[in-house]
Amino acid sequence: MKEVMAIVRMNMMNKTKKALSEAGISSMTARDALGRGKGLVDCSLLEGAEKGYEEAIAQLGHSQRLIPKRILLIVVPGNLVDTTVKTIIKVNRTGKSGDGKIFVSPVMDSVSVRTGESGKTVLDEI
Amino acid sequence: MIMIRSIVRPDKVDNVLAALMEAGFPAVTKISVVGRGKQRGIKIGEITYDEIPKELLLTVVPDQDKDYVIKTVIKAARTGVKGAFGDGKIFVTPVHEVYTISSGIKELPSGEIEEVKI
Repeated sequence: MKEVMAIVRMNMMNKTKKALSEAGISSMTARDALGRGKGLVDCSLLEGAEKGYEEAIAQLGHSQRLIPKRILLIVVPGNLVDTTVKTIIKVNRTGKSGDGKIFVSPVMDSVSVRTGESGKTVLDEI
Repeated sequence: MIMIRSIVRPDKVDNVLAALMEAGFPAVTKISVVGRGKQRGIKIGEITYDEIPKELLLTVVPDQDKDYVIKTVIKAARTGVKGAFGDGKIFVTPVHEVYTISSGIKELPSGEIEEVKI
């Protein structure tokens, strides 16, 4: 059992939801989040840094702004991790920085509140 | 890889973010949350406030940087010298795989890097 935590662009949510449910992964939790990555890419800074200006190099990766994102929390059985990750990457990839990150961590158990049962039966299955 | 979830005071967030940037860990995700701790919220007169607003910061770092990042967060999020109730908590969980969506690169804790084929 694994938790897939994906941070994606806000405008990609609808597409992601659709693609995930088509792939058979219907249950998920989503939240608004703010965040930053390795830093905003400012083209003039990059050009300056390439030419070797020290002021430009010093400013690389310095940005305090947080960017609005959506965070998806999906708990899936171990054999579905690959499908989930691939579906999210396929839909969300534009090739530019800011597309997001996916983290996969272990989950020890899951319990359904309504029925009280625990284990894999709680999760999506194909 | 390790995910560090720190729950801090909303007014200390800027402090923590600046400290993390300074320490060389720019990547952070922030979510506002409400919660209570061991003190069961704050009791003022007859009223108990048990949904105290906090900010949850998520950072994923390599295993060897764990202690350094935790120390950085603690230093930046503490109020006063000794700290006070309500300064927050830090939880540490393992992350087995990290994917970057824009490039499709998969990173494993062992440092292995491979590209995901779609």
